[in-house]
Amino acid sequence: MKRIILIITIVSLTSCSAPTNLYTWNKYENSSYNFLKNTNENTTNKLSEEYKKIIKKQKGIRGEVPPGVYADYGFLLLQSNNMVQAREMLQKEIELYPESKVFIERIIKLTE
Amino acid sequence: MKKSIITLLLITSVVITSCTSTAPVLKSVAYKGMYDEKPLVALIMPPINRSTNIDAKEYFHSTIYTPIADAGYYVIPPFLSMEIMKKESAFDAELFINSPLNKFSEVFGADIAVFTIIHKWDKSSIGSNVSVEIEYIIKSTRTNQVLYTRRGEIKYDTSVSTGLAGIGGLVANLAVSAANTAAAKYVDVARICNYYILKDLPAGKYSQNNGIDGALFAGANKFKVNLSSQ
Repeated sequence: MKRIILIITIVSLTSCSAPTNLYTWNKYENSSYNFLKNTNENTTNKLSEEYKKIIKKQKGIRGEVPPGVYADYGFLLLQSNNMVQAREMLQKEIELYPESKVFIERIIKLTE
Repeated sequence: MKKSIITLLLITSVVITSCTSTAPVLKSVAYKGMYDEKPLVALIMPPINRSTNIDAKEYFHSTIYTPIADAGYYVIPPFLSMEIMKKESAFDAELFINSPLNKFSEVFGADIAVFTIIHKWDKSSIGSNVSVEIEYIIKSTRTNQVLYTRRGEIKYDTSVSTGLAGIGGLVANLAVSAANTAAAKYVDVARICNYYILKDLPAGKYSQNNGIDGALFAGANKFKVNLSSQ
């Protein structure tokens, strides 16, 4: 029982003192909604800009680019036929998150 | 964004109107499957919209990715996975919720599939209340077992008081509320609902609480709550 109380206390203190979350997302969700609702040049560009900001600066606890960001940015680059940079982003996703390999390698093969 | 969520939650007055009155259960017991299987890779399935609001699906689809990543999981890139699901005619999650999910493990490398069912999304015609009933079901792609499920009825008051008194204040308040019922406001409502229900999710590999949060108490798996931005 004492151990449980200790763990709860540690977790609570850690949670309370944590300055931020694991990642920072800026205005990703609004840009994501606009892109989902109406995909056009304007919404695509705005979502791309969000990805660039997320990649450039992370103030979260991990200090790493969140999962999926490199790859989805790569997806937008694929859509605009920027194949070299797209593959570069997809590779970065695998490097940072090896667990993405099964899916992302499949996508890279589709682009070859 | 997390900072704004925390700020919003801090200023949000939460009134639990009812919840399951059973004895508190530890997360390690309530979500035993999650702690046993230790999933890492999450695949977001397109939300199942059973509400009368056709836009509700996009509100939730665009806001479910970040809380799962923030809980410490690897989330399959949502737009890339959506594209593949569309090409493979797998975009209707209703077809898979009661079917074997091992194919999602093979194609996406997913350990879990996250299903969202929007049962209700109603907005009041005069006021600024949004009433949402939402259910989350996380299933293992390996065992097909339900590892996490929560269902909540959330009433959210999107009105923001101008602080002005009298008739002038009433008109000003109505004008602010009308502006707040735009799509951006509803994205915020979905974001709050997602964070509120998924805050119970066991900490994933990338979270600092991974492996130790099982000693915390789990929230009720069915609940009603009133949230307000005032």
